[in-house]
Amino acid sequence: METFFLTLYVLVWPVIVAGVLWTLCKGFMKDWWQSRKEGRSII
Amino acid sequence: MDITLSIGGRQATASPPIYRWMRHDHVRIAWSAGSTCFEPGNGPILRARKRLGDSPVEAGRDYVELQAPLGMTERKKVSDDAGLYQLSGWAVVLLLIAIYGGSFLMSTLIGRKKENADGYMTAGNKIGFGISAASMTATWIWASSMYASATAGYTYGISGPIHYGLWGALMILFIYPFGKRIRAVAPKAHTLAEVMHARHGRSSQLMLAGSNIVGSVISLTSNFIAGGALVSLLSPYSFTQGVIVVAAGVLLYTLWSGFRASVLTDFAQVVAMLGAVVVIIPVVFFFAGGPAMFSDGASNLTPEQSNFFSSDAFLNQGAPYIAAVLAYAIGNQTIAQRLFAVREDLIKKTFVTATIGYGATVIGIGMLGVMALYLGMEPVGGNVNNLIPQMASTFLGPVLLCLFFVMILGALSSTADSDLAALSSIMMADIYGKNLAKKASPKTMLMVGRITMVLATAAALVFASGHMDILDLLVFVGALWGALVFPVIASFYWEKVTNKAFTTSVIVALAVFIPVRFSWFPMTGATGIIFDIISVVGIGVVLGLMSFGFFGLKPAKIIGAIAALASAPFVIGFLHDYTVLTGSLVAYAVSTVVCYAMSVRSGQTFDFALIKQRVGDYDPQDEDAQSPDDLDSSAVTAGK
Repeated sequence: METFFLTLYVLVWPVIVAGVLWTLCKGFMKDWWQSRKEGRSII
Repeated sequence: MDITLSIGGRQATASPPIYRWMRHDHVRIAWSAGSTCFEPGNGPILRARKRLGDSPVEAGRDYVELQAPLGMTERKKVSDDAGLYQLSGWAVVLLLIAIYGGSFLMSTLIGRKKENADGYMTAGNKIGFGISAASMTATWIWASSMYASATAGYTYGISGPIHYGLWGALMILFIYPFGKRIRAVAPKAHTLAEVMHARHGRSSQLMLAGSNIVGSVISLTSNFIAGGALVSLLSPYSFTQGVIVVAAGVLLYTLWSGFRASVLTDFAQVVAMLGAVVVIIPVVFFFAGGPAMFSDGASNLTPEQSNFFSSDAFLNQGAPYIAAVLAYAIGNQTIAQRLFAVREDLIKKTFVTATIGYGATVIGIGMLGVMALYLGMEPVGGNVNNLIPQMASTFLGPVLLCLFFVMILGALSSTADSDLAALSSIMMADIYGKNLAKKASPKTMLMVGRITMVLATAAALVFASGHMDILDLLVFVGALWGALVFPVIASFYWEKVTNKAFTTSVIVALAVFIPVRFSWFPMTGATGIIFDIISVVGIGVVLGLMSFGFFGLKPAKIIGAIAALASAPFVIGFLHDYTVLTGSLVAYAVSTVVCYAMSVRSGQTFDFALIKQRVGDYDPQDEDAQSPDDLDSSAVTAGK
């Protein structure tokens, strides 16, 4: 049982990181499309 | 002792042999893969580890026998060479060109022939969520945080990375309610010190700006050192060559467009970093033995290291970080700069995402230290900073090792470019804009910003070559920033805080903090007890301020009082032995008490609406609508 929880403890972080990465990429694409639509620089 | 390795299913030739040396369970194993470069950590290595068991293998005496599928065998003496597997020189050169050349190309996409001073500092205060959250995450994650988290895991066991990464993440989270207030009173500001100038005057501003400059130069130096160390560990090139290439690369893509280039390239860097973390941690985990490592290596941990609620980890690692949570966020201009750059309605979303991103990434990397502890690995050269490269070198193949290289380089470059952008904005707005120029010219401001970047890079190169103990210095500066937290935060909410109260409280707090931090006098008897009592006040202040941001004044007072009273029995007579923590708490307590005592009777009733009038854009129009040619002739007096 302890081994199971330690495994989960180690591997849960990359899963959360993957979720954040997805959110950031989605946000970036939205910013990019928005700036293109408005004809301005993304920054 | 001979060991037979099976390189199953792979085609290999014996000539010319390529030997790769692996450190595994205290045994260095080599195998011949002919002209094919095998990925380490695959089947053969796992089987070897199991076959070795606990049998001692002596370097220089024992042999490793390697068996290829075609029946060829090689015998190699077990080596005591502690060197790590390195990438080839050409591979490193190509990676550096790809990273810094790619970043430079990205920056040219948004570059303008004539940049705008406000854009150079805060990108016009209207960045979207995706870029701002990515930039906040990338900036807060730096190479040192990865190394330190792994060190915490290796030193304090399974709770170590939590006590590093969680509190670091909360630094971002706890500043956001204050960030919303700061943006509300100063929507067009560029630096926190600039707002202090509008609120109090020159002495408060310069005090904050000075501490920001010191922090950013130290951070920049630390990142260059991390770059040099990475290059020297994983490539044939030297530390000095690594430092110079990293410094030149970062300056190359940041110099022209400043903060705008920094945040755009941060996105690419964060994708590389986070993507690498997603792949590298599970790969290392499974090639290091998977779940079995926890049962096989449990004996390598002390009871304290095995305990998720280790008091040792909390007191030595976690508690000083909790005390520093607000101090780093207030003292670090890179955070303030992003706070002023993001669209005002996106502040909460940005800060919460960056909190989760930073926490998961840094804690995840810290798991490499925990795994190293379970595997019973010894850091190369006894230096715990080598743990992460060592784990990568041991368990990752050439391709993933390249990804690892990119991850660390992305982490340090994204923070270094933010440090350059932070330093340039302080020099532009706080030194030139508010103190030197009678009428701040945007064109001159840009020149000041770019010269600052070049000089800061040169200074950091000099410091980096001196091999200073940068992390210790940063911890010192972080604790020192504790003296600024209450006066800065109170200045945004309490109309009674005066310039005199601000500067006096900071100076008195520093005068008490420094002797405590460096143990200039013995903390024995009544002296120790007195400083424990002051620390109790500091605990109340820290938790009160944290609560104040989210819940308001009344709950903050209650939480602060409860925290102080509840901690008193455990702290008094005990805490003064931990000088780092005591010094930090004393800085909070003294600055708060002095600032409060001097302000509460003042007759000042500051009108916060004045800040908005006093702090504004330096460029005359919105950057998108403005003709660049107008900049030359425009000299505005924003905030003067």
